[in-house]
Amino acid sequence: MKVLVPVKRVVDANVKVRVKPDNSGVDLNNVKMAVNPFCEIAIEEAVRLKEAGSASEVIAVSVGAGNCQEQLRTCLALGADRAILVETDVDPQPLGIAKALAALQEKEGAELVIFGKQSIDGDNAQTGQMFAALTGMSQATFASEVKVGDGKLEVTREIDGGLQTLSIKLPAVVTTDLRLNEPRYASLPNIMKAKKKPLDVISPADLGVDLTPTVEVLSVEPPAEREAGIIVETVEELVDKLKNEAKVIS
Amino acid sequence: MDLSLTEEQELIVGNVRRFVREEIVPRELNLDPDADELPPDDKAALVDKTRAMGLYGLDIPVEYGGPDIDLVTRTLIAMEMSQHRAGLYAPCYGTFGGAGLAQLFEATEAQKEKYLYPTLRGEKRGFFGLTEPSGGSDPARAIQTRAVRDGGEWIINGGKIFISGADRAQYGLVFARTSPDKGRNGVTCFIVDTDTPGFKVQRVVHTLRSAHYATELTFTDMRVPHANILGAENRGFAIANDRLSRQRIPYAAGCIGVAIKAHEMALEYVPDRETFGAPLSTRQAVQWMLVDNEIDIRQARWLTLDAAHRAQQGLDFRKEAAMAKLVATEAASRVVDRCMQMFGGYGVTKDFPFERWYREMRIRRIGEGPSEVQRHIIARDLLGAGLR
Repeated sequence: MKVLVPVKRVVDANVKVRVKPDNSGVDLNNVKMAVNPFCEIAIEEAVRLKEAGSASEVIAVSVGAGNCQEQLRTCLALGADRAILVETDVDPQPLGIAKALAALQEKEGAELVIFGKQSIDGDNAQTGQMFAALTGMSQATFASEVKVGDGKLEVTREIDGGLQTLSIKLPAVVTTDLRLNEPRYASLPNIMKAKKKPLDVISPADLGVDLTPTVEVLSVEPPAEREAGIIVETVEELVDKLKNEAKVIS
Repeated sequence: MDLSLTEEQELIVGNVRRFVREEIVPRELNLDPDADELPPDDKAALVDKTRAMGLYGLDIPVEYGGPDIDLVTRTLIAMEMSQHRAGLYAPCYGTFGGAGLAQLFEATEAQKEKYLYPTLRGEKRGFFGLTEPSGGSDPARAIQTRAVRDGGEWIINGGKIFISGADRAQYGLVFARTSPDKGRNGVTCFIVDTDTPGFKVQRVVHTLRSAHYATELTFTDMRVPHANILGAENRGFAIANDRLSRQRIPYAAGCIGVAIKAHEMALEYVPDRETFGAPLSTRQAVQWMLVDNEIDIRQARWLTLDAAHRAQQGLDFRKEAAMAKLVATEAASRVVDRCMQMFGGYGVTKDFPFERWYREMRIRRIGEGPSEVQRHIIARDLLGAGLR
């Protein structure tokens, strides 16, 4: 079973991001970048499937600027067999990425495509679903457990108040939730091997897709700052403030 | 000339950075601010992880089962491993293992069986006993501990001071004078079991460093077998000297890691901290402190990597290691001091790691040869025969 894992280059989750003064976006100057954590979980799941003998090949793919190669190398060090970068200068959006990946899937014919459920920068949680729609593949989103059966997958999803288990036919699309697995540290021998693994760079034109954005970002604002709290002397004072100032009780 | 890290180095360094952030720092928050050890279960669990990463026993040579990593990369790793509160003297709380006393790789097979292999397996600990009350940076003159041959044994009398970990060790390297009139050619290195009669840990020497304290040792008619000489009789000076040069590179790297972390914390803090109606980051006084930090860190980093690179190439690196040690310890001291200043009152509390770094960093300008000795080494190298 060939497994395709799309990954995204995002700001490292530990960086305290700041909005640019002109509100055009987040300041990425001198900021450490990383593999999107949900995508890292997707790579880990694919590598585990390979180690268990369920998957034959793991291919990491990214759509973005040339520096996404850094994140693809990380995926190779984590155990992916090869990588593909669809290189573009435009800042791609979910629909464009899904189209590029769908065109790539036509060539690769992977039986399983594992996405992170969302990226920690855009928080769209759309690309996997759009890809499934474009390719007509079955899908199970927000997976917390994946079991491979004969020509099908059993996928557990965390939903409000419990767990839902789906059985879907292969070829299929799965998007990963946080608790699916705990990604490993790349081992030194695998890091040394990563450089020798193939990393192909292709253009959107090679796939016949247009990545021109269809959504315009008007403004990016930081969340409102939390106001300082106060200490009240008595319960009466608390009730009074909740009623008349905060207006949360009546 | 390419000064950038290779992709492999980026990945290895990134791995260690993540390990410190996800495994070490969260556990450290639950420990005493002066702790130098993790609870045994935690440590064992983390050693499993560093083994899986293939990074356990970083400074153990490949032929003894260590990872195949060059000295430059190990230096880069050392700059990551110290980026936490206990990082200066207990980087990652020892979860990456270590070779212990590198000198033992030159030991006889019988000595390796008894001391080296148990150390690599984590069963024994050793100490390095060079410094005496009369000094440590000038072993040719300072060593007054005497060893006198008596048949198949040597009788050792004297003492050592500022010896780390001797009270927790099963053995140690003790440098003693075997030929009183021969200067540097009259010093011999002995491997001494700490249960040898006459060996005594006289006292713990309390210093600025509350963890990993030093000890004072006395030797009274301590009998050591001739077979316990490391290397050759009267050839101990080279062993001591080689260790002094080599040790300076990781020593510098540890300081730089702490400086990098302190600087990072300050960079994150000052845009949020408001005084007199504006963020600290808008004050030129603060901006210049940050600029000076950045420059201090960069110059120390490049000097240290240069020394590591030369040592890796097999070139002479004595002067470069001295410059790295000198600049890194002094630069990192300034960086920690400035960061403490920017954090104000919070900077001196035990809620933050600055106060521990500040205390421990002061030792670094003295330990492994004080700044003045480093300058002396560099001057001697520059002037050569012109020194007279």
